[in-house]
Amino acid sequence: MHKIELTNAVKRFKKVVAVNNVNISIKNGINIILGPNGAGKSTLLKCIDGLYKLDSGFVRINGNDPYTNFDVHKYTSLLTDNYSLYDYLTVKDNIRFFGRLYGLKDSEIEQKSKKILKELDAYKYVNNRVYSLSRGTKQKIAFCRAIINDPEIVLLDEPTAFLDAGAAEQIRKSLDEIARKGIVLFVTQRIDEVTRFNSRLLVIKNGAIIKDANTDSIYTDIFKNSEIGVRLARPISAKKILNKNIVYINSQTPTYIKLKIRNFKDINSNVKMLIESGAYIASVDYAEPALEELYK
Amino acid sequence: MKIERSYHLAIKDIKEIFSSISIYGPMIGVPLFFSIILPIMTFYVTIYAAPNIVSRITALPTAPSQIKHATSEMFLQYFAVNILGPIFLTMPILTASVIAADSFAGEKERKTSDALLATPISNSELLLGKVLASFIPTLILTLAVFLIYGGITNYFSMKTFGTYILPTTSWLLMIVSGPFLAIVTIGVMVLVSAKVRGIKEAQQVSTLLILPVLIIPFTSVLGIATLNVGFFEMLIFILIILDILILYASVRSFKKEGILG
Repeated sequence: MHKIELTNAVKRFKKVVAVNNVNISIKNGINIILGPNGAGKSTLLKCIDGLYKLDSGFVRINGNDPYTNFDVHKYTSLLTDNYSLYDYLTVKDNIRFFGRLYGLKDSEIEQKSKKILKELDAYKYVNNRVYSLSRGTKQKIAFCRAIINDPEIVLLDEPTAFLDAGAAEQIRKSLDEIARKGIVLFVTQRIDEVTRFNSRLLVIKNGAIIKDANTDSIYTDIFKNSEIGVRLARPISAKKILNKNIVYINSQTPTYIKLKIRNFKDINSNVKMLIESGAYIASVDYAEPALEELYK
Repeated sequence: MKIERSYHLAIKDIKEIFSSISIYGPMIGVPLFFSIILPIMTFYVTIYAAPNIVSRITALPTAPSQIKHATSEMFLQYFAVNILGPIFLTMPILTASVIAADSFAGEKERKTSDALLATPISNSELLLGKVLASFIPTLILTLAVFLIYGGITNYFSMKTFGTYILPTTSWLLMIVSGPFLAIVTIGVMVLVSAKVRGIKEAQQVSTLLILPVLIIPFTSVLGIATLNVGFFEMLIFILIILDILILYASVRSFKKEGILG
C-alpha cells in the first residue's frame, strides 16, 4: 500500500499563494483533483513530486521527502501538461533517454515502449522527431515516457486533454491498471473527465482543497437547480408535453426541449413524463457549468 | 551518485545540440571559418605589409633598435601567437556559453525539465551531466580551431621561410588555458541559469566574459603585457582558482527549481 501525505503544505510564488495549507492523505486507487485555471493544480502536483520545495509544511511519499530523496522517483512518475519532450530528438531517443535514467536496459525500453505506443496507435511515429508531431501524438508519447518505468505512483496533469476518444480510453484503462496496485493522481479542469471515473474527488480553489468527496458527488453539484436538454428522435405536439418544468421548446412541434430540474433525481421523472406523452428520447444533455460557477 | 545518469544526460544534451543546425551551425561554422581565414590574412599582412611598415618605422629617429632587425618571419610569429591566439581563445567561451545556455536555460525555456526532474537523477548527477555536455564539445572544438589555425600558419611559414613557427611554449600554454576558460564560462552559466528566463538572456550574460580575453592582444600591442610563458602560466593559475571558486559556488547554489520552466 502506497501513501502520499501533505501536511499544512504551502507554496508561494512571490505574493501569489499557489498551494494554500493543503492537508490530504492519498492512498491506492484513482484520485482526481478538479479545479479551474489558476487554482494551483499543476503546482500542487509538482510539489507532491518534489520538483518544488514547499515554503512550509511537508510532503511525504511512503514516508520519504520527494524533494530530497531521489530514490522516491524510481517508482513515481509525473506527466505535466507541457509533455516535457525534447523536440529535436526522435520519439525513440526521448523514450530511451528517460528509460535509461530509470536504469532500464535498452532492450527493455524498446520492448515496453513498443507495446505502449502500439496500444496508443503511435508506434508509427517512433523515428519521427517530436517537433513534427501533433499535440495529441505528443501527449501519447509523453504518456509512454511517463509509464516506461512501471510506476506505482503516477501523477498526471490533464492526461487525456487532446487525445482522440480511442487513445483517451486506452489511457484510462492503463490508469485503472496502475490504480489496482498503486496511486493514480491526476488533475483536471474538465467535469466530463471526472464523470468517467468512480473515484475520490478533491476540488481545489485558490490553492486550497475545498471539497473531498467521491466523483459521483459531481452530479449533485451540477444538477442542483439547473436545466437539462432533451433531444427527441421524432417531433411531438407541444400541447402534449406542456409541463411547468419546461423552459424552452424549439418549435410548436419540438425536437429539442429544455427542462428545469431541482436535482439529478428530477431527470428520471421528467424523462418518464415525456415518454408517457409519446416522445421518443434521443438523448439527455446537461450544460456543463463553469467550475468557477459550480464552486463559488 | 550514479555516473551513468550524468553520462546519459550529457549524451542526450550533445545529441540535442547537434540535431539542430540553428545551434551547431554558427557554433562550428564561424570558428572554423575564422580559423582558416585569419591565418591566411595574417600571412599576407606579415609578408606584404609588414616590411613596408617596418621601413617607415625605422626611418623615424626615435625608432626602437629591435624593430630595425624585425623580419617577416618574426612578424608572422608575433601575429600568430599574440594577436590570433587570444582571438581564438574566445572560442572556448563562445562555444561553452552557447551549449551551456542551451543546456541549462534551454530546459527552462522549452519547459522540458519537469520530466527530467521527476526521474531519479540527483542534483549532482544533473549538474555533472550538463557540465560534461558543455565541456566536451567545447574542448574538441577549441582543439580543432587551434590545430587548424596552427596548421595553416605552419604551412605558409614552411613554404615561405622553410621552417615551422608553431608550436611555441606560449602557444601551447594558450591551448591549455582554453579548457579552464570553458569551465569558468559553464560555471557562470550555471549561476545565471536560475535567474534568467531563457537562452538569449543567458548568452548575453556570458558574452561579457569575452571582453577580458579580447583585451589581451591590445595589452600586447600596446606593450602593457608580454604574452610569454610567464604570462600564460599566471593566466592558467588565475583560471584554476576562478574555476574552483565558480564551480564551488555553482554546486552550492544549484537548485533544481532553477531550471524549471
